[in-house]
Amino acid sequence: MQAFDQSKEEASSDIAALLAGAVSDGASARQVVGMVALAFRGIEQALEPIIGQRGVAALYKRSVHLASQVHPWLPRPREGVHPAMDVSALTTELALQAPAAAAAAGDHLLQTFCELLIGLIGSSLTDRLLRPVWATLLSGAPAQESTP
Amino acid sequence: MTSKAIINRLTTGVPGLDEILGGGLPEFSFNLIAGQPGCGKTTLAHQMMFALATLERPAIYFTVLGEPPLKMLRYQQQFEFFDTAAVNRTIRFVNLSDDAMTGDLNLVLKRITDEVTTHAPALVFVDSFRSVVLAGETEGNPHNGLQQFVQELGVLMTSWQATTFLIGEYFNETDANPVFTVADGLIWLRQSVQRNSMVRKMEIVKMRGQSTLPGLHTFRIAASGINVFPPAKVEVPSAASLKALLRAPRLLMGTPGLDDMLGGGLPCGYSLLVAGPSGSGKSILAAAFLAEGARQGETGVIAAFEQHPNRSRSRGVADLIANDQVGLVENRAADLSIDEVVYMLMREIRRLDATRVVIDSLSGFELALAPTFREDFRESLSNLVTSLAAAGITVLMTSELEDRYTDLRFSPYGTAFMTDAIIVQRYIELDSRLRRVMAVVKVRASAHSDQLREFSIDAEGIHIGKMLANHEGLLGGRPTRKPALRSVGVAVTDPEG
Repeated sequence: MQAFDQSKEEASSDIAALLAGAVSDGASARQVVGMVALAFRGIEQALEPIIGQRGVAALYKRSVHLASQVHPWLPRPREGVHPAMDVSALTTELALQAPAAAAAAGDHLLQTFCELLIGLIGSSLTDRLLRPVWATLLSGAPAQESTP
Repeated sequence: MTSKAIINRLTTGVPGLDEILGGGLPEFSFNLIAGQPGCGKTTLAHQMMFALATLERPAIYFTVLGEPPLKMLRYQQQFEFFDTAAVNRTIRFVNLSDDAMTGDLNLVLKRITDEVTTHAPALVFVDSFRSVVLAGETEGNPHNGLQQFVQELGVLMTSWQATTFLIGEYFNETDANPVFTVADGLIWLRQSVQRNSMVRKMEIVKMRGQSTLPGLHTFRIAASGINVFPPAKVEVPSAASLKALLRAPRLLMGTPGLDDMLGGGLPCGYSLLVAGPSGSGKSILAAAFLAEGARQGETGVIAAFEQHPNRSRSRGVADLIANDQVGLVENRAADLSIDEVVYMLMREIRRLDATRVVIDSLSGFELALAPTFREDFRESLSNLVTSLAAAGITVLMTSELEDRYTDLRFSPYGTAFMTDAIIVQRYIELDSRLRRVMAVVKVRASAHSDQLREFSIDAEGIHIGKMLANHEGLLGGRPTRKPALRSVGVAVTDPEG
């Protein structure tokens, strides 16, 4: 239980700090959106081979549902035969927000997603699977993700 | 001879499995793990994979349809063998559900082929294979495409030097499923429920190229994973080892006077049955046997199957267990198999290099077995006793004996024939008091006392007294005093008389 909380806090503080730092450095909404998009695309890339597109989409849908209680404008992922994460719809909506609001919502959604995954497969395995994603983000690698 | 192909056998990491497989898992074999839902197929696959996968021998675990991968990872990581650090390092999980849902087996095969050619795994798992089968089934031809799929998969995996496992549910053994023909190995898991006990069994239906142990082998799923219990090897002691045992000094019993009654102690490697009614002192005699062993520098093992082990175990035995001079095999719920008991016993015997074993009691032992095994109790017990004797271990078993004064019984199980020595304890009524007597009924190939001796029990243990020489009809439970005339000349007199 301790490991669970610890990991949650670590992931939370790292990403929150990254986004908050970007905002305080005067990052534009576009830049913040780019970082959030990069994170989710990385997550998608890391998890889809293992749990399938549907598995990732289901987790994302649940995360949006939970996070939208605080940020009701978050776009619901599309339904259909091939459910997907639909990062594009997210970035479109985030780009319409002020940088701080976009950062807060993006961070909240990422945290919710991670907590959901940790609750299911534990912090150790979550960390194992998502560590490369955080490493890419924190290394400051292409943070300028293109937005539509 | 050297021009023949050499089949390497992999150590599966599942205790007992290599033994029933006949020496491990043939490398590059194409195997099927089949069984009903919940019987441990995925657990078996994961346990083998985590044990076998290395950087040089990586594994790919394909999940198809059925159990969602998130759930599988959630539950499998509860096992001790699940090493998170191996994920994405030596083990890759690949989900094929999106491809499988199209129903196109060729698409599934292509994805598998792509992954295998890209990553060159030495171990490949496809879970669950049934979903692949269902996805490929069409009306009128249930095996449409499947035969081809399996053939191609088999050829691909063998030529890519991958040891492969297809994990499948609900397979019907009588079904002429093409997978059965193609597979080199077929591991069938079963579970049977009787009353409130569930017993898991594994059968190696086939394993090409090697001789497997036939039959159903019980296994248990614990926090450490699957543990298979191969049957105890019944080894007939060689003439040389028998001679050596006969020359070995006899074991002292730790109960004063009893060694003399046995003709100088219990011969090494013998099995002794101590039979008597409830409370007659069987466990105390057994405890003295273990304590005497400890005094002689020997170690022992006690298999305790009482309902309340802590309450009934003597302090002496508890101390010996605490000091690791005696190993303990304890009773659990009524779901043990004989093979599991033997496994636990032998593990303790090997751990302590024990020479004395106590089974207290046979009645409790039988109750601790799952109902399905009780029918085979006598046969299995005989195997156990033979195996222990072959290993030169001396066994003392206690047996509850219903008090019957109309006939002289030693065991309700008909177990007397398989033991080398028998001591029987009885209650008798004398002067309105309940008194105890014991006799050595049998010591195979040895002279022994034929006296029926009174004994008492106090905090120190058993004290064997004298014969009640001036009484007769003791075994009837209500002895009568012999006519005074006939007692003349008898050296031993009734102390109470």
